[in-house]
Amino acid sequence: MAPPNRSARVAVLGSSLQRSKPQPHPSRARSAVVRRSVLAVLVLVALGLLTISFRSPTSGVLHDAQSYGASALRPFQVAAVRVARPFRDAYNYFDSLARAKSQNEKLRQMVRDYRAQALLNAAAVQQNNELQRLLRFETGPRYPQDFRPVNAAVLAFPSGAFGQQIVIDAGTSSGVHLNTPVVSADGLVGKVTQVGRSTSVVTLLTDPDSAVPARDLKTRVSGLIRHGQNGTLILDRVPKDQVVDKGDWIITRGTVDRRYPDEYPYGIPIGRVVAVGTSDIASFLTVQVQPLANIDSLDAVAALVPKHPRAKP
Amino acid sequence: MSIADGLKAAALLFVAAIAQVSIFSQVHVFGGVPQVLLVTLVGVALLRGTIVGAVAGFFAGLVIDTATLGQLGLTSLVLTVAGYWIGRYGETTGRDRRHAPFLSVAVVTILYAFGALLVHFMLGERAPGGAVLESLVPTTVMNLVLTAPVYALVRLLLRPLERADFATEVQLLG
Repeated sequence: MAPPNRSARVAVLGSSLQRSKPQPHPSRARSAVVRRSVLAVLVLVALGLLTISFRSPTSGVLHDAQSYGASALRPFQVAAVRVARPFRDAYNYFDSLARAKSQNEKLRQMVRDYRAQALLNAAAVQQNNELQRLLRFETGPRYPQDFRPVNAAVLAFPSGAFGQQIVIDAGTSSGVHLNTPVVSADGLVGKVTQVGRSTSVVTLLTDPDSAVPARDLKTRVSGLIRHGQNGTLILDRVPKDQVVDKGDWIITRGTVDRRYPDEYPYGIPIGRVVAVGTSDIASFLTVQVQPLANIDSLDAVAALVPKHPRAKP
Repeated sequence: MSIADGLKAAALLFVAAIAQVSIFSQVHVFGGVPQVLLVTLVGVALLRGTIVGAVAGFFAGLVIDTATLGQLGLTSLVLTVAGYWIGRYGETTGRDRRHAPFLSVAVVTILYAFGALLVHFMLGERAPGGAVLESLVPTTVMNLVLTAPVYALVRLLLRPLERADFATEVQLLG
């Protein structure tokens, strides 16, 4: 019997009574053993199955049993697949929609890229054709023998209402100088009016200030090629008593008198006569010439540089 | 655990295993595959404890390995340990906690992935660690999405046991 003034703390701490070691409840201890045993057995069985299966993956009793088991499970799997099919179809539908959307964007981008590439290729083909024609012209009989060609690409078309000019990527470093004639594969284009180290400005035949001495190839009538209307040229200064026929070829006249050398060599095609007219009050014929060179779409041209520095054109 | 409970759990896990191999294994979202069997096992083990969890995991794994003609015992081994661990968690710390199923699913998904990877590696089979790691996050997310409905279904079929029914090792003083 504890004294009445004894506190609970003293009762616990001051007691000389030794507490017995706590013993687990028999049923709980048994439960833990059972639990662990079950786990151990299952793990061991799983390891055993794994070992046997690993050692004989394609034959043996276990493999046969597994095959039978798979056959037995097959109807359930088929049923599950059939049950899930509408849902899967719906999922696939929406999934394919989402994929199609992103794929569509990719394909659009590819189309844009290919279109740009196709344009580049077409431009390259066109340029290639023009260069080949230019090459044929330079190696053909019409090419003036005393000149060497300086091939150049057309860099810019600064032509406008105030002038018909282009910029080419050849300059003094290539031998180009002022008044150098410039031709395309079809014929005369113009002459260099400004020259830099690696670029030059070419004033076209269709420029209002351009004037090229020319002659009719058939009748040998001479005149001056000037700009006309609607992209055509005029063979000016042809006396009314001279004969120029429609369809005649007009070429550069070249140097007639060595004291007054012409800038243009002889025989470069300029154009073809498309109309010949006259009037009572005019002193000269009105000869309309269609230029051979396609002035509006030049990609490559050749500047005609004299082979011998002293050689005058 | 009554026989009726056992039959319900077996049916549930069987259906989940068949659904896993026939349906969910083909659902790939961001590289991950939802594991409805694992989620179902988590529910069963949380509600019925270690022994049921381990046995359920073993047989569910056996069904999977049989249906897929895989290495017999491989999935069983991993799911047995997983079921045991979840059951133990449910018997002790996780009981009566609302987040227990979600936490269990998240942790077990990760442990299952690494466990399966380890076993495959030890067997000398192909063990693509990078692919497993990449699919881990989407798989975990999808499993967590599945957790609420699957656990609700499991809880509907297997009513939670009273606290006294759990076998614990918590020793009381006195």
